[in-house]
Amino acid sequence: MSFFGLHYRLESKAIGLTLGIIVVASIGGLVEIAPLFTIHQTVEDAPDMRLYTPLELAGRNIYIREGCYACHSQMIRTLRDEVDRYGPYSLAVESKYDHPMLWGSKRTGPDLARVGEKYSDQWHVAHLNNPRDVVPVSVMPAYGWLLMTELRIDDLGLHLKAQRAVGVPYTEEMIANAALDAYAQSNPDSSLADGVTKRYGKATTMRAFDGRPSYLTEMDALVAYLQVLGRLTDAAHKSVAQAGAGQ
Amino acid sequence: MIAQLTLIERQYAIMISAAVAVCGALMILVGRDDAMGIHGALVFLAGILTIFRIGESYFAPAPSDERLAHYYDDPSKVAIVLAMIWAVVGLAVGDWVAWQLVEPDLTFGVAWSSFGRLRPVHTTSVIFGFGGNALIATSLYVLQRTSRARLPDQVSPWFVVYGYNLFCLLAVTGYMMGITQSKEYAEPEWYTDLWLVVVWVVYFLVYLRPLARRKEPHIYVSNWYYMAFILVVAILHIVNNLAVPVSLGHAKSYSAFSGVQDAMTQWWYGHNAVAFFLTAGFLGMMYYFLPMRAGRPIFSYRMSIISFWGITFFYMWAGSHHLHYTALPQWVQTLGMTFSLMLLIPSWASAGNVLLTLNGAWDKVRDDATLRFMMVAGVFYGLTTLEGSFMAIRSVNSLSHYTDWTIGHVHAGALGWVAMITFGSIYATVPWLWKREQMYSPKLVEAHFWLALAGTVIYVFAMWNSGIVQGLMWRTYNESGTLAFSFIDTLVAMHPYYIARAVGGLLFLIGGCVGAYNIWMTIKVPSAVTDLAADVPQPAVVGSGALRAAE
Amino acid sequence: MIVEHALLVGISKSFGLFYLIALSVAVVIYAMWPSNKKRFDDAAQSIFRDEAGPWR
Repeated sequence: MSFFGLHYRLESKAIGLTLGIIVVASIGGLVEIAPLFTIHQTVEDAPDMRLYTPLELAGRNIYIREGCYACHSQMIRTLRDEVDRYGPYSLAVESKYDHPMLWGSKRTGPDLARVGEKYSDQWHVAHLNNPRDVVPVSVMPAYGWLLMTELRIDDLGLHLKAQRAVGVPYTEEMIANAALDAYAQSNPDSSLADGVTKRYGKATTMRAFDGRPSYLTEMDALVAYLQVLGRLTDAAHKSVAQAGAGQ
Repeated sequence: MIAQLTLIERQYAIMISAAVAVCGALMILVGRDDAMGIHGALVFLAGILTIFRIGESYFAPAPSDERLAHYYDDPSKVAIVLAMIWAVVGLAVGDWVAWQLVEPDLTFGVAWSSFGRLRPVHTTSVIFGFGGNALIATSLYVLQRTSRARLPDQVSPWFVVYGYNLFCLLAVTGYMMGITQSKEYAEPEWYTDLWLVVVWVVYFLVYLRPLARRKEPHIYVSNWYYMAFILVVAILHIVNNLAVPVSLGHAKSYSAFSGVQDAMTQWWYGHNAVAFFLTAGFLGMMYYFLPMRAGRPIFSYRMSIISFWGITFFYMWAGSHHLHYTALPQWVQTLGMTFSLMLLIPSWASAGNVLLTLNGAWDKVRDDATLRFMMVAGVFYGLTTLEGSFMAIRSVNSLSHYTDWTIGHVHAGALGWVAMITFGSIYATVPWLWKREQMYSPKLVEAHFWLALAGTVIYVFAMWNSGIVQGLMWRTYNESGTLAFSFIDTLVAMHPYYIARAVGGLLFLIGGCVGAYNIWMTIKVPSAVTDLAADVPQPAVVGSGALRAAE
Repeated sequence: MIVEHALLVGISKSFGLFYLIALSVAVVIYAMWPSNKKRFDDAAQSIFRDEAGPWR
């Protein structure tokens, strides 16, 4: 009998240690993370915020797939030299639809938070095809196959649906037309092009990004994504202007 | 291996393998239009091969009850061998990508070999492949000896070892095919993550049961650390990987979190992966193998308890120092910085414990490269935690963040602390496990030690220099008030440091290969001495066998 | 139920501090408690106790 008493006491101690570790370790995370889920009550809002088009989202997935985030950040800190080099510092609201965020942790290459429309499509295509054709001392890998690989668009509707499930407000219509919209965005002369601007806004960039309108490649998607970086909302530029006016 | 299993255990093992194979077949079916199908084939193959492997010895005679009088160490043995394989692979890939930053066309023009895809292959192989297997091997070893209880059964530990390695394999092959969540150190996609949850729950139960049946009234402190490692990694893994897959047939998923919440969750995970995977687990290793190898108890057991709760508590708050000056609210940044500074107390208590335990036994440290591995690990642990607290200060971080300084810091910890304590512990365990008098070649252990130390020092100094130079160049203004250097200027300035880093990494890799060879030969070449049958190692096996009587 | 951001932040900032102090004190007391000394010394030595195998 005493044997069982001892046994249970020892067992409860191992479980006590387990619970102790869980409780002690959980609190730090709860205290820091929980308030962030109510942060929308206090931070700036951006009513003009646009959604990624299906083509831009596909490009973002290629950016993730190739691990671009390992060398390029998308987060301009509130430091003078960063603002001078890259543009207005990043606001929380700018990445509110980014599942996951791509703020990055290392700049082997420059920050890309505001790279959109800084360079021409041709520059991006040439640069991605072989960076050393454009920047001789670059150490970036060449991504030549992007120009030759057809973009998979048949499942983009499912992608938008999953995005909606995690909180991005894509409409039924957007989901239903996802594949066609991806095709039309890089084919601005097609009859479908009007639908893209109707659904995603007049500011949507409609161009044959890789220079070949009839041929939808992974290069189209990636360049479309790079060209929209920092351009989904004007909130960052506005807040700088306000700060300037206030002084 | 299989002859040790009872008939019922063999049947269980076959059933589990069959279930794995069925999962693989389902993945092939639903994921046939996606890269997931290839992973399905891999899982299917893993299940089928295991069934065949068990089937080969299925009718072997059942083991005698004599086995219950010994600890069950076969899973630890296999995990040590796997750890060394992952070490060589991970270090080789790491050095390869280091050379890619010197000569970018070393990708040879194919998709899978570009820096962005290989970098997670490197980090996953060394952290989870090498570190994880070493933790599983040593934790099961230490658990049994400190509680004087045998593992509860002979199937679940195998499930942990092989299941965990299947996770690593799926992760690494996935990155090369472009399957990634992009969350640093949590890159594997949803189905691989789910698999790890299953493996981890079993690991926890395997760990808990001998503890509950232990003979010693007090739970030895190593087990506290291993336990914290298992539990907190589970919490971190589950929360950070919450995601919605595109469909059941798609490898791709979208994180449940976005923007600033995602950033905070990710670095809460990322920093605590450092804390509970790369620190707590390896401290558990240190608190057992260092006293055993040195032949003297830990200097202050009380200090080890205080630092345990300190680490468990403080680390959880520190993650936000990865997000200084970003869009994260400033109060969270300040909390992160404060707790990062306070972390220095428990960290130095541990590092001090290492050195004070060795105080008075420096002759052993001089003669025994294995003990020297552990001592240097303690020194690097102290240095890295000091540097980490320093870098968490906002103004320092404004310079160091986004630069190679971070890379240098991480490698001071990963090479100097984690790898050194692991190599030391493995060199201590291998002769005990395989009943050998000593390692195949103590000279090669000595060579490995100097290669590892030289490689680490070169690597870390190169990255400190490049990081600080780059950080300063980014923020330098000329007289007219404009930025003095373009980004490309800073990249050109990095070139010599990148060469030095790749050379340092190469030395460390060669050391790892020497270690793997030495361990393999120790296993292969039978020992002259045969009466080392005892399960509990003799403390203080220093260098050669002749010194053993010294205690 | 709407959770106020300010409330959560307030709890985080104040409670965190008290929790920190209480936990630190508790751990130091536990580790330094005189009657625990024997147990800890014993535990530190326990790994050297030479036993041939598991106890049952």
